[in-house]
Amino acid sequence: MDEATKRLEEFERIWKKPVIRIGSITVLLGGLFAFLPSLYLWLRYGVFPPLSMALKAWGMIAAAFGAFYIVEPISYYAILGLSGTYMSFLSGNISNLRLPCASMAQEVTEVKAGTPEAEIVATLGIAGSIITNLIGVTLAALLGYALIRLFPPAIADAFKVYTVPAIFGAVFGQFSLRYPKVAVFGLGIPLLLLGVLKGIPVWLVIPASVFGSIGIARIFYNLERQRR
Amino acid sequence: MSPEILKIANSFGVWVLAAVTVSMVLIQAVLFTRLAYTTADKIGYPREKCRQAFRTGLITAIGPSIAIFIVMVGMMSVVGGPITWLRLSVIGAAPTELTAATVGAQARGVEFGGPNYDLLALATSWWTMAINGFGWLIIVSLFTHKLEDIREKIGGGDPKWLAALSGAAMLGVFGYLNTSHVLAGGGRLIAVATGAIAMVILLKIAERAKWLREYTLGLAMLIGMALAVWLG
Repeated sequence: MDEATKRLEEFERIWKKPVIRIGSITVLLGGLFAFLPSLYLWLRYGVFPPLSMALKAWGMIAAAFGAFYIVEPISYYAILGLSGTYMSFLSGNISNLRLPCASMAQEVTEVKAGTPEAEIVATLGIAGSIITNLIGVTLAALLGYALIRLFPPAIADAFKVYTVPAIFGAVFGQFSLRYPKVAVFGLGIPLLLLGVLKGIPVWLVIPASVFGSIGIARIFYNLERQRR
Repeated sequence: MSPEILKIANSFGVWVLAAVTVSMVLIQAVLFTRLAYTTADKIGYPREKCRQAFRTGLITAIGPSIAIFIVMVGMMSVVGGPITWLRLSVIGAAPTELTAATVGAQARGVEFGGPNYDLLALATSWWTMAINGFGWLIIVSLFTHKLEDIREKIGGGDPKWLAALSGAAMLGVFGYLNTSHVLAGGGRLIAVATGAIAMVILLKIAERAKWLREYTLGLAMLIGMALAVWLG
């Protein structure tokens, strides 16, 4: 057994196994605990949607988001990795917080993508973003009404409307710098599907963009290897 | 909506129960941070780099967290403070949660936040948000380790290809996320384009001025926002 395989097997034992144990338990508990306030309304005030209404609401929301339950974890996995997936899905705000913070942490530490070190660095970047986010939402919950008046309406509107596209554009810029050729397809595929062809459901567009871009990257990668 | 309903939604018991879920997120973050540090020690990865990674996450999250803060205050006035706190700490992003809360009201047959939005409608909204979030969490809890097996197979132990693969996945995801803003045109298109250009320029500058690296994404976001307001 060579040194590299030995190192990976060691990493498997000291990292992956405990990550799976911590991750699967905390994610499941988080999901279950989220029902507590609904139970409280039932036990304290005797109010709970009757079965027919509960099922109707469930059916409607599953029709809207059900496909994403499966598509998103698969599509984001190559970026978030093992611990990143458990953390990001429990804490949410994946595209506007977790993915940008994980990739910035890797950029700043100049770690090689796809290595054990990269996974540790991404985990810490996401952990840092969770702390900032928890402080933010807790402040909002406790002092939101008082603090919101501190923002002039024009600035509040700018944050509301433009933060998301600006950060999405910036992350795209960051990776275009590294893989400019793939970037053309990364934006081209969804633009073609949503802007030109239209009518294609969004839950199909996400995997088409992700796995389409991965396929294109593989072709470029093979071409480059042949050239050497 | 009557103030009575909002009073129940903001009652102390709901705060306590919401805190249970929110602390789960915090506990998980602490556990993974500790594991990351001990693993870094074992494989000989410097602590300084670990701290730098954590700090970068803290800083980069500030801008988006302000945006979440502003959206959150709006949502609190309809479904209450504690449940909004819970929903935006766990899995949810505001648009998803607002959709689920609206669907709950529709199943009850009333308008979300309207005058007929009663306690039963509130309960149905809360139930719908919880069951919707649970959809993602149960899949992630049960199947994430299987995804790792798949990645190892596709990656084939070639670190260079693994790096290209996650870069391509990132471009695919963010290409898709940018599309609706690009198609919308106007200020949102300007925010995407100038955010991207600003990021490329800042990263080029940061090659020389290393201290700038941790702030590049936050700065690029602010530049994109400012230009969108100015030109849009």
